[in-house]
Amino acid sequence: MAQKDLGFYDQLEARGVTRRDFLKFCGTMTAILGLSEGMAPAIASAVEGAAGSSLFPAVWMDGGLCTGCTESVAQVTKPDIATILLDILSLNYMETISMSQGEHAEEALHETATHNEGKFVLVYEGSVMTGLDGNLLRVAEKTSLESLKEIGSKAAAIIAVGSCAVDGGWVRSVPSVKADGYPQEPEAWATGVSQYLASQNINTPVINLPCCPVNPEWVVAMIIDAVMLGGIDADGKVTAAFASKLDEEGRPKSIYGQTIHDNCPRRGHFENGEFVYKFGSPEEAAGYCLYPVGCKGPQTKTNCPVVRWNDKASWCVESGAPCIGCGNFNWVDENAPFLGRFRNIGLGMKKPVNPAAAATVVGGVAVAALAAHGFGMKAAGRIGAGAPMEKMKDWDRKHGASKKGGDK
Amino acid sequence: MPFVLYHWINALAMLFLTLSGLYIHYPVFPGFMGTARGVHFFWMFTLIINLIVRIVLAFFVKSAVMPSTREQDIDYKNWLPQEANRHQFIAWIKYYTFFKKEHPISAKYAGPQKMSYLITVPLTFFAAYTGFALWGPTSDWAFFAAGTRFFADLFGAGIGGGNLMGIRIVHYWTMWAILLFTAVHAYLANIYNFDPSRMIFLWKENDKGH
Repeated sequence: MAQKDLGFYDQLEARGVTRRDFLKFCGTMTAILGLSEGMAPAIASAVEGAAGSSLFPAVWMDGGLCTGCTESVAQVTKPDIATILLDILSLNYMETISMSQGEHAEEALHETATHNEGKFVLVYEGSVMTGLDGNLLRVAEKTSLESLKEIGSKAAAIIAVGSCAVDGGWVRSVPSVKADGYPQEPEAWATGVSQYLASQNINTPVINLPCCPVNPEWVVAMIIDAVMLGGIDADGKVTAAFASKLDEEGRPKSIYGQTIHDNCPRRGHFENGEFVYKFGSPEEAAGYCLYPVGCKGPQTKTNCPVVRWNDKASWCVESGAPCIGCGNFNWVDENAPFLGRFRNIGLGMKKPVNPAAAATVVGGVAVAALAAHGFGMKAAGRIGAGAPMEKMKDWDRKHGASKKGGDK
Repeated sequence: MPFVLYHWINALAMLFLTLSGLYIHYPVFPGFMGTARGVHFFWMFTLIINLIVRIVLAFFVKSAVMPSTREQDIDYKNWLPQEANRHQFIAWIKYYTFFKKEHPISAKYAGPQKMSYLITVPLTFFAAYTGFALWGPTSDWAFFAAGTRFFADLFGAGIGGGNLMGIRIVHYWTMWAILLFTAVHAYLANIYNFDPSRMIFLWKENDKGH
């Protein structure tokens, strides 16, 4: 898709991105990657050098998805710099918005994978649809599972974009699989790229970027860090320096290291106890904290408040909606209801347990049991002086008092 | 004196921790979140320090080995199973459930009593552990993050780690476990007579003695 006959900055200019915009963007990348501002020129020259050189091709494959991540990255109304950069960085295959179709598109995919084995990046969007032996999704006469195994095993690294690609996302969420006659285990329906590859003994490194959808700047940041700044070396091995930037779940710490709550512009209202209890209230108009209406910011780790969305226009909480925790794992099940505090305190149970019901049962049983026991104590005449002391321990009576451990 | 102080600290800590914890879960009225969190942290540290002091003291102070005796032993030995009181667990259960009429001759603490008292130690530490796993400044420590990951995996949160929901709910349940212990403890301590409460609340010992 890249216009290879034009120079890099000419290509940017042609899309309405000035050199200044581009350098500012590189500054943002340093922030996301946890680098110093001084690294911005290095990133700029790395991107410039890589653009159109087909040194770092990428392919974008789709699993079970809503194309929301593609939407997020493509931003059809106003393409942002991240999108344009992805495009210029020889994105050779992308099912949803690729110009070429059919056999040509497939050819581009397989040529990229074959000619650049171990030296290209696979961006995978959507869940891995394991249900019905993978026949839920077929592309070019192959199941998506076969395609993922084939292309995934050749890639230098896989960037799993969006919650679906990370752990199955909402595709694996419980309500869709708990009906009679369907597999009871969510994993039997849909799972994430890293879990699936692990089950197939394919050890291509996977960078997980959960969120629903993914933030395009994160994708570009990872491509810059993993490929252009040498996170993956010439042999297609992840360097120790790059691996140390990922947490145990393969997420970049610089993006997923702090909670939304930590960086929230409404945090002051939280500490002051200034809350929105109802939408449409004066408190909402005042921009108070959205915690009582279900904000999951305190337990969701992404840097949304810092990077923001839609070319830095805004983000959920800034635009007045509580965080629904879409950057979490298994986020639909763990965070519903979205517009209320989480009220299910059942752990691993199929039916939700309401805290008030749990309190009534646990507390009620305890009080009833103690009261009943109290009446028993009264009936047995133990209240006051207590029960008569036994003359001898039962054990001693049975075994003879002279034994060791007998009464003193 | 240590008996009274220890109980007062624990009772106040439980009261404030429960109330502030409920408020943090859902702020029923505005204007109190910062305070509630402050209260929660203060009493959490107080409770933990109190418990640690109590554990340390158990290795230094002496207490009577059983009622109506002058014989004493290092306190912690009265908490652990004692040779003189083996084989009495069943007798105690029978006694509590009215299958045995006579009070078993036993040590300072009955077998089931020792067990339930001892279990409050890990339980309190566990409440603190899950709390630290939820608390911003400590939730990233590998020691606490491991617990977060464990409970997230245990309760089926995809690939697990970093999802605080599981450990958050476990934190709530530890509150219930501690409150349940307290209910049973307050009941059993006072069912014969109110001497212990009189001591704690009114600072008066029953001069009749046992």
